[in-house]
Order: sequence, then structure tokens, then C-alpha cells
Amino acid sequence: MGIQEVQGQGKTPAYQKKKRTGHGEGFQESLLQNLKNRDQKKQSNTASETEAKQSVADAQMGAKENAEKVGMGRIGAVPGIRVSAAAMQETLQAVEVRHMSYEESDHVRIAVTEGYTLKGKREEGEDARVYVEAKYEDGRVEAYQVDMAKVPEQTTHVIEQFALETMEEA
Amino acid sequence: MEQKWSYLVEEYRAMLYRIAFSNMKNRADAEDAVQEAFLRYMKDEKPIQNKEHEKAWLIRTTIHICLDILKSGWYQRTVPWNESSAIAEKNIYLPYQVRDDETLEAVLQLPVHYRNPIYLFYYEDYSIHEIAVILNEKEGTIKTRLRRGREEVKKILTEGRP
Repeated sequence: MGIQEVQGQGKTPAYQKKKRTGHGEGFQESLLQNLKNRDQKKQSNTASETEAKQSVADAQMGAKENAEKVGMGRIGAVPGIRVSAAAMQETLQAVEVRHMSYEESDHVRIAVTEGYTLKGKREEGEDARVYVEAKYEDGRVEAYQVDMAKVPEQTTHVIEQFALETMEEA
Repeated sequence: MEQKWSYLVEEYRAMLYRIAFSNMKNRADAEDAVQEAFLRYMKDEKPIQNKEHEKAWLIRTTIHICLDILKSGWYQRTVPWNESSAIAEKNIYLPYQVRDDETLEAVLQLPVHYRNPIYLFYYEDYSIHEIAVILNEKEGTIKTRLRRGREEVKKILTEGRP
């Protein structure tokens, strides 16, 4: 683009060089232009349809990916902790952030040196589930629901460990 | 009117005390600062837009009062008469139990421009946006201070100095 602009400097603009055409030629040109435009429109429609399909697929994969992120994310990547993303899919589910306060939480962890805070609350209901909210130094806030029936007692994952502590505190 | 003031004191007293304490590291001075903040609020009759604005105003004023006291000649010439453990004092009003006292002690040793953002973010659970409003700074500045403050905390914990 930059080169084109430099090369075009000082030359007569294209619209001034355009040859005046007769009525028939003009019609032909406009027809060709219309056909070209229609082709371009079709192509862009196909592209947007593909994009829409992709976003639906992305949404369906959302929870799965978020769970994988936990395994690969900052908390999961604390030195010495390796997490299987596949295992995380079963125990953790990304959920909507509720912005729970410290007072409302059953358990709180403040990790200043690691740059995050965790808040946990045992969910009411028959299944043992814990809601965990993580806030990071860069401002991100993420929330997960942990299925306690699937969490191994000797887990090394930070969120799972925290969920176990929350169960004890609650 | 009296009801309004008592509501205000009940609502914010504990939180303002903790913030004042993180700056003053002394119970009596922290209580003085909080009282002064309430008095200023009542006297000035500020045009407060909403609850968030009210809270931000009170926190900001409390921090300013603390800094004014710390800078005053009287404060610098005197020492606390009976200073007990900062954390033991601080835990009185905390809504949760701080297990890592060592880190909190390190946070309290930070310079004021790191201490307040770190304290508000981690111990009072404010968002970066809220802290930026309270401290009248840009969000980017708060993020930088949080990152640098965290490094300082690590230094204090490993090397024993800020």
C-alpha cells in the first residue's frame, strides 16, 4: 500500500485519464461492474455464513475451552503444578461471574505474591458443588463451578484444592 | 438526619477503619482518621450522586487524612505509647480470616503509592476500575502499581526490605 502511494505521486489521477465512452460501452461497463459487485457480495455472504457457523461452534465449545484454559491458565500454571486439561473438563465448568463479596464467601484466599484472589462458596442443592471466583492482577475475573464428586482428594490443581478447602470451611 | 448519619457510620466504619489502619498501623490513629473523615462528610454536605460515589469519597478522604497525619510534624516527632502487633489489631474487624500474616505485614511496609492499590485490590476486593476512581488515577496506573507492588512484596518477603 505504501509503495503504491509513493509510486502514484505526481501522476495524473485515474479519473482524469478515463476515456470518454459512448452509450453502449458505458452500459457494458456498468453491467460488468454490477456482475463483479454481485460476485463479491456472494463471496462476503458465504464468508459471514462460515463465520456465524464458526461462532456457534465456538459457543458450543465454550465451556470445554474455558475448562481447558483453567488447566493451562495462570493458576494452573503455578510452578510445580501440571494439570491435565481433559481431567479439568469433568470437574470444572466455567460459569457466569456473580461478583460475590468476601463476606458472602465461605472461604477466601489472597495470593498477593502470585497476583490473584479466590473466593469460594458451597452451592446449595443435592450435588456437592462449589462456586469459585478468581480475580487476577490484570483485572480479569473468572468463575467456575467445581463438581466435588469428581475431584480427587490428592488433587494438585489450585482451584480444585481451593474447592476442597471451601467444602471444609462451609 | 441522625438516622442517616448512624446508617452511614454503621455501613462504612469497619471498612474505613481497615483502610486507615493499613496506612497508620496503629489503632488509635486509625480511629481518629475515620472519625475525621465522617466529620468532614457531615460538615461539608457534599453533593453525592450515588452510594458508590459516597463510598469512594469516604475512602479517598480517609486516605488523604491518613497521609496528612503521617506528614505532620507532630506525628513525626512522636511514637506510639503502646504498640501491639499490627495484624492482631487489624483482624478485629476483618470479615474473613487472614492466614498469611507475613504477606499482610509486607504489604503494610510498602510505600504508600503501592500500599493503597494493593490493599484495596486484595484485602478489600475492589476492582481496578473502582480503585482508579477512589484514588483518582488512571486504570493503567493502578495496574502498573499492582504489578510493581507485588514485586516489592516478594522482595520484602525474600530479602526483608522494600
